[in-house]
Amino acid sequence: MGLKAWLDEVRERALKALTKPSPYGVDVDVTPFLSAGEVRSGGFLDSARAEKVGVNLKANALYIQVDQAYFSYLSRIPGVEVLRIEDLIDQKPDEAYEYLWRLVDPAADKYTALAALRGRGGYFIKVKRGVKVEEPIMACLYMSYGGLQAPHNIVVIEEGAEATVYTGCTIAPEVLGLHVGISEFYVGKSAKLRFIMVHSWNRVAHVRPRTVVSVDHGGEYISYYVNMARVKTLQTYPIVHLADDAKAFLASILLGLGKADIDVGSSVYIHGNSSGAELVSRALARDEAKIFMRALIVGEGVSRGHIDCRGLMLSDKASIQTVPELIAKNPNVMLTHEASIGRLAEDEINYLVSKGFSKEDAVSALIRGFASIDVKGLPDRVRSYIESIEKVISEKAL
Amino acid sequence: MTGIILSIENLSVSVGSRIAIKDLSLQIPSNTILYLLGPNGAGKTTLLRAIIGYPGYNTVSGVIQFEGEDVTDKPMEYRVSKGLALAHQIPPKLVGVRVADLLSTLCKKSGCSVSDVAKDMEIEHLLYREFGKGFSGGELKRVEIATLLAQRPKLALVDEPDTGVDVDSIEIIARGLKRLVEISPHKSIVIVTHTAFIARYIEPDATCILLGGSIVRCGDPELLYKVMRSGFKGLA
Repeated sequence: MGLKAWLDEVRERALKALTKPSPYGVDVDVTPFLSAGEVRSGGFLDSARAEKVGVNLKANALYIQVDQAYFSYLSRIPGVEVLRIEDLIDQKPDEAYEYLWRLVDPAADKYTALAALRGRGGYFIKVKRGVKVEEPIMACLYMSYGGLQAPHNIVVIEEGAEATVYTGCTIAPEVLGLHVGISEFYVGKSAKLRFIMVHSWNRVAHVRPRTVVSVDHGGEYISYYVNMARVKTLQTYPIVHLADDAKAFLASILLGLGKADIDVGSSVYIHGNSSGAELVSRALARDEAKIFMRALIVGEGVSRGHIDCRGLMLSDKASIQTVPELIAKNPNVMLTHEASIGRLAEDEINYLVSKGFSKEDAVSALIRGFASIDVKGLPDRVRSYIESIEKVISEKAL
Repeated sequence: MTGIILSIENLSVSVGSRIAIKDLSLQIPSNTILYLLGPNGAGKTTLLRAIIGYPGYNTVSGVIQFEGEDVTDKPMEYRVSKGLALAHQIPPKLVGVRVADLLSTLCKKSGCSVSDVAKDMEIEHLLYREFGKGFSGGELKRVEIATLLAQRPKLALVDEPDTGVDVDSIEIIARGLKRLVEISPHKSIVIVTHTAFIARYIEPDATCILLGGSIVRCGDPELLYKVMRSGFKGLA
């Protein structure tokens, strides 16, 4: 089967799944987004918003997408290739055939189906064998006038290579949009991918990213995801597959504001031996936000895994639910989890006040601490931006 | 400076529905390392927390004056801003808050150097660790004293600095307490202990014994050594 036949099959399968709801999250009617006319042009990038989600628009490897119409990309880093997905299909059909829709099932639910049928753009990032890139590879997905944005992102980190991919996704105020980002990441043997995704949506936006990651023998996948602003509904449940001697660390920071309905999880399937996974999530629920925090580790090989879910209630009308799941399919698996939900402890606030903090500063410091997850090995620029995100979250959560 | 720094007159304190401090009077002069001794449950921690205005430690009657100002009805935030500071017996864990973050905030106010404070208390290796998480008893106390050094208070109230601490850490803690006396404009400190181990490293100028929520005796350093030899029997 060639690429064309494969893409025809993808579309055929997608057509049959257009009414298939996701098992999680609020069900969004995708019909208006499916029947939308041709892609509008004329959208422009709001640089200030892109920078607010940490995107360096002067990066040496960069992909920018506005809505479904404007694309700009480049790579000045040796060994790093950046392409738009349509250009990958045109220029490198063999690679497109190898990577497109191989990890994410187009018929998984109506959102993947919608993306398969109506999606445009998305990045193809390939870091060649043995190349270790210190500078973050940047991507910005911006929605200027709403409607549908459904990019298809592929990252390939070849054997022994190492890179950090930073994606900031944001939207203009008050425009109603559905963002369905399809992401398929291939981490090769002894390769390492650090993936940072920062979301800053608006109070009417629906967001349904779909991500699957394959980590080969000795590889490592580190993910840091943060939702730092209002959103109407957000549902995502990335899946990571680990081979032998592979590692995964997934961190999520979820800020729920207003009437947001957030359902975010992480799952790791440990197929290989001597592999390990750690899933860490922090939810902060203010106003009338509802947050589900899901986490799943399936241990098939001799492996270790740990889930750490913590929720912080910042309002009497908000709600948080944690759903940590551990499944062992091998007697030599060691899986653990811890989960907690509560308010800030009065004793911790009082302790800081006894050290000279005002009560407000004490609360802010504790919220910031709560939202802080130590992700090892991040480039300094990314680390410093994450610290600024933690500060923004503590301010918004107050 | 000379004179009385902290004056407590006829203080009674309730914790919940229980009266834990009863009609207690105590004066702390300048140039004084005061040891406040008492067995477990005597009311030592309650007294220190009442002095600093910790929520939940309610003054039922009596007066607390700090540097001549009546602070009895003032909140903890105010008392701390005036120069009182408390080293907690068991500091809480602060999720996600690194030791360096806390010290840095305190040093910004007081003008100290985080690295100097960390060096003094030999906690450089803990600076980027989450506050309190996985610390040994000695590390926890050293970090706690470091927070006081970073605050640079006028009068430090130190709760059980020698409990659950190894000998090496006690020496470092005692060095920190001496430094607190040096930087205090009044050259005074209040050290609460029930074992008095720390007194081997930082000598007292005065000793008071607290039993059942009341001061039963105050005296010169010899009183402390007598308690160390014979315990609290016969002091009531």
